[in-house]
Amino acid sequence: MNPPNQNPLNPLNPLNLTAELAVIIFGSGAVAGGLGVALGLGGGIFLVPFLTLALGFPLKSAAAISLCTVIATSSAVSARRAGNQLINLRLGMVLEVATTAGSLLGGITAQLVADTTLQRLFGVVSIAVAFVMLGRINRRNVILDPAADPGRLGGRFHEEESGGVVTYRIKRLPLALVASFVAGNVSSLLGIGGGIIKVPVLNAWCGVPLRAAAATSALMIGVTATGGAIIYYGHGDLRPLLAAPAVLGVQIGSWGGAQFAERFSVKWLKLLMSALLIVVAVLMFVRSLG
Amino acid sequence: MNRDRRLEVMVGEVLRWGTIASSALFAVGLVMALAGYRPDRAPVILASALVILLATPPARVVVSMIEYVRERDWLFVVLTLIVLLALGGSVAAAYL
Repeated sequence: MNPPNQNPLNPLNPLNLTAELAVIIFGSGAVAGGLGVALGLGGGIFLVPFLTLALGFPLKSAAAISLCTVIATSSAVSARRAGNQLINLRLGMVLEVATTAGSLLGGITAQLVADTTLQRLFGVVSIAVAFVMLGRINRRNVILDPAADPGRLGGRFHEEESGGVVTYRIKRLPLALVASFVAGNVSSLLGIGGGIIKVPVLNAWCGVPLRAAAATSALMIGVTATGGAIIYYGHGDLRPLLAAPAVLGVQIGSWGGAQFAERFSVKWLKLLMSALLIVVAVLMFVRSLG
Repeated sequence: MNRDRRLEVMVGEVLRWGTIASSALFAVGLVMALAGYRPDRAPVILASALVILLATPPARVVVSMIEYVRERDWLFVVLTLIVLLALGGSVAAAYL
């Protein structure tokens, strides 16, 4: 009965956020946040598909809301981790130059391309990352000698699994920069943090242990997502009223997820992540075909 | 290494207070909007929550830059400046 522009799920009308829709957005945010923190991601890779596929939000609106949750998760998770040396601040700052440049370019591009193009890109990115993760599932990148020199950008931290201090050195920095640029670009275009691109590349080819890569990426995605979110906000695609339940849900979810994330083994995290990404990719392709 | 750890703790504090402030305002604004209480104020509160959320990561970069200036680590001062300039580019792209 409703004309299309008065659909209760139409996010372009800021006046019709019902309590029901707020609860649904809050709940999906909580689930995405919980999964995200367990996998070292922002959760956007799960929230964007839910908002577009289940609630029918336009991809740009879903991406904008998701970027807010990415920023919130990044800040909250990094605040909790700060001080235990898992976050590599220097490496993060170097790579942020590339992610913010990519994010600026992606935010501008997103205004110029169609939603179906973005959906297909989302699918391609998800599939590619899933296979990279599956292909590298048993790799480790740590030097177990605590006296080893980490170099200027490397680091060392106490690892729960082996019970000792591990040291790592950065290899192939140019590759890490390229991956960060692409991650920043895709972040703005698709509303994800970009961790799904940076973390596997840093882990597989650049010598960074998975937990350090995830912690450093989690810090970086806040700045990266801010670049994209500002552009969506300026173009009217980001409604604070719709972002509010998503941000609060993700905060609760990521707090909950952090309580048991350390108990998962890295191998199972990689497997779970790959399986979810393939499902998301298939759904996005189906959606883009109408 | 110790200096890096101190910066890590400072960055953590900036992120913690930014998160608390924006989440609290989002919660208050959302409840007001859903309850229909002060419909003139709720959008302002929600917009401030969003602005604080968006300002928190750049604030962390600014804190890092100040610390790198104090350490006279000019390479990292330049890197943080470039990041802030790129964010300024986003503001320009949003409103121009």
